[in-house]
Amino acid sequence: MFDVMFAALGALVTNPQTMGLMLIAVLIGLIVGATPGIGGRLSIALAIPFVFGMDMTQGAVFLLTMHAVNGTSGQISSIMFGVPGDGDDAATTIDGYPMAKKGEAGRALGASITASGVGGIIGAIVFAVMIPVLEPIVLAFSPAEFFLLAILGITFIAFLAGGDNIFKGMIVGLFGLMLATIGMDPQTGTARFAGDYLFLWDGVSLVTCVLALFAVPEMITLAVKGGSIAAISMDGVKFSYKQIFEGVMEVPRHWFLALRTSIIGALIGMVPGLGGSAAAWLCYGHAVQTSKHPERFGHGAVEGVIAPETASNAKEGGSLLPTLFFGIPGSSGMAVMMGAFLILGIQPGPAMITKHLDLVWTLIWALVVGNLIAVTFLLFITRWVAVLTFINATMLVPFIVVLVVIGAYVNEGQWENLLILLAMSIVGYAMLRANWPRAPFVIGLVLGRIAEESLHKALDLWGLSFFTRPISLVLIGMIVATIAYAIYRSRKPNVLANMQVSA
Amino acid sequence: MKNMLKLIGASIAALSVVPASAQDGAAFFKDKTVTYIVATSPGGGYDSYGRLVAEYMQRNLPGSTFVVKNMPGAGHIIGANAIYASKADGLTIGSFNTGLIYNQIVGAQGVKFDLSKMSWIGKAASDPRVLVIASQSPIKSFADLLAQKTPVNFATAGPGSASYVETVILTNTLKLPVKNLTGYNGTDDQLAMRRGEIVGSIASRSSYTTFIENGYGRYIAQIGGNDKDVPQLSSLVKDQKALDLIALVQSQGDIARLTAGPPAIPADRMKVLVDAYKHAMENKELQARAEKLERPVEPAYGEDVAKAISKALNQSDETKQLLAEALKSDKK
Repeated sequence: MFDVMFAALGALVTNPQTMGLMLIAVLIGLIVGATPGIGGRLSIALAIPFVFGMDMTQGAVFLLTMHAVNGTSGQISSIMFGVPGDGDDAATTIDGYPMAKKGEAGRALGASITASGVGGIIGAIVFAVMIPVLEPIVLAFSPAEFFLLAILGITFIAFLAGGDNIFKGMIVGLFGLMLATIGMDPQTGTARFAGDYLFLWDGVSLVTCVLALFAVPEMITLAVKGGSIAAISMDGVKFSYKQIFEGVMEVPRHWFLALRTSIIGALIGMVPGLGGSAAAWLCYGHAVQTSKHPERFGHGAVEGVIAPETASNAKEGGSLLPTLFFGIPGSSGMAVMMGAFLILGIQPGPAMITKHLDLVWTLIWALVVGNLIAVTFLLFITRWVAVLTFINATMLVPFIVVLVVIGAYVNEGQWENLLILLAMSIVGYAMLRANWPRAPFVIGLVLGRIAEESLHKALDLWGLSFFTRPISLVLIGMIVATIAYAIYRSRKPNVLANMQVSA
Repeated sequence: MKNMLKLIGASIAALSVVPASAQDGAAFFKDKTVTYIVATSPGGGYDSYGRLVAEYMQRNLPGSTFVVKNMPGAGHIIGANAIYASKADGLTIGSFNTGLIYNQIVGAQGVKFDLSKMSWIGKAASDPRVLVIASQSPIKSFADLLAQKTPVNFATAGPGSASYVETVILTNTLKLPVKNLTGYNGTDDQLAMRRGEIVGSIASRSSYTTFIENGYGRYIAQIGGNDKDVPQLSSLVKDQKALDLIALVQSQGDIARLTAGPPAIPADRMKVLVDAYKHAMENKELQARAEKLERPVEPAYGEDVAKAISKALNQSDETKQLLAEALKSDKK
């Protein structure tokens, strides 16, 4: 076992051609990830012609590295401009952008980039450890568990809003759940609240909503206020590698949180059916829930950056597991990856362990090495990137608005989404002005659909008795405990006092 | 007045059509950009075939540039509507699910195309349907399935999807002891079969190749195709009504991965497009690449595809009735 493990690492790092390909893959992956609206799936689909004729190992390493580092750069625009690249990055925006406004873009980026890297590497370790027990764990999660996991995630809304905002949080969360019902009814196949507008049949576009709710309101505020994103002058900040390094050190300081969210992320990635954005949001909720000072979240808490970033990179290692060993891809990105594996002559299935163990280890190492390269590279250039937050609004805002519009269009290629962008931006700006929390909306939208679909399936399969499945009972216990804890905490007087100070 | 103008326009157009040769058609595509619409997101079967077809058609149309445009949504209807509504100049073509035939037959919501009028360039594959049963189930054959006393769970994608329509019409007319559960999109059904909550599924054979190779399930019957490892469903059934519906499903499978343009593309340009498509399909390199993707090429071209489509659309009133009933009786 160990000889294969280290032989694979040796073969990977000593082959200059493979390492060269990895460097190129990291660069492409980072660029694609940094561009809002373009997902990793598209980049793999477009790269497939190039891997024809590549050697099996090199081709697989190339594609996997490209895919794995995608999430590492998506956070840059979320933190700096409040423009999330996709649903995962939106969770990073909630605390990352306030940090940038405080002039701490460097610290936020340092923390989030390191967190991504740590998440990616822990994800790879979870991958390696899980191989022997993969089957029972993956197969233990059925629609019943998905439903309860989604509900658990929805209960986190209580913490995201915090204190006396709890009712505002619930209203916003319900608004998200309400919009999640737009589209094809999964049970009857009739269009709900969509009429003849075909673009609504698959539901309201998540990316568009996220851009409208987070990016546009911040840009309007910035344009109205003038000045730059960072509310303090550049002279006031020692803008240097020192600040970035402080950010890097935040990750070891919160090592236990980073470890937990990485593992949760990897497990969610491993169990197909919950979807990628759920990982980042569940972990964000987890960070708020377990924090001693939940009221700091949304105002620039560094834990709010670390949790979703570790989760979204860790899930890549996890999601590779069912793809490689069952031949059943867990996400649309992995479905494309599996197509590419077939081209390269890799036949995913249980035989991978017996026949291609060396390749499996090479892929695990590729995840580790690829993440390391990406982190090093990004940390190095961050110093110059972060300066952008000090640029005057008049120069910055038009650029970012263009980026937002392109992002909303490109994701599904439908111009109607621009109307949604406009309408939701108005809602988002109103919420920002009235100081209502916006994160619960995204949680409602992301988890609402999962909850509805899995509830239908679970009821069809087992009727109400699905609530008594063993894992269901554990999850129900967690949901009850979460709600009880939320009520207890909102009644605790000192927290309430803190709330009022920070608000 | 409007009609008058149309008439004049048409006569001018008719007069100006000097016998056009394929040379004129080929010259037209020089320095032009052809948009190839794929009615799904990037990745997956339709996208793979679409990109292959576009790449190799471009090679066979000197001076042209093919651009693949993904227009996902509403179960291929958005993409198909877009192709149908595009300008009939031969510069927009594309691919969508053959299963939209069902949507057209039953007059489903959102359909703004008429498949019988489209310009058919070709089809790249045959995708026979199979009845798959999870390996842990005791059901080993079609007879075993029929003999089940209590209904077993089958998975299908969302209502209205081609997979759903086919599963429902077949299970209803064959009176299979099956309970159809919806909402299993993508590979959800395969995972559910591994978990054991789902016993079987009626799906396209290509999507189950890896699953079967890994020993997770077995085929018990097939519709269409030349594979010898499993009996044809039509040989296991006597009822004529059922046989008619099996034939309808088979015709879907026979014309998979199609390429079409909007109605009334000028004949000379159509000839050039069909020729370019044919040369692309006969290209050894394309065949090798498709083979590696486990997506074999089994092409047909132009008129042949058009005929097959209109044959599939032209169902007897009785079959249409069955189709509508099968769909209605399962609605909750």
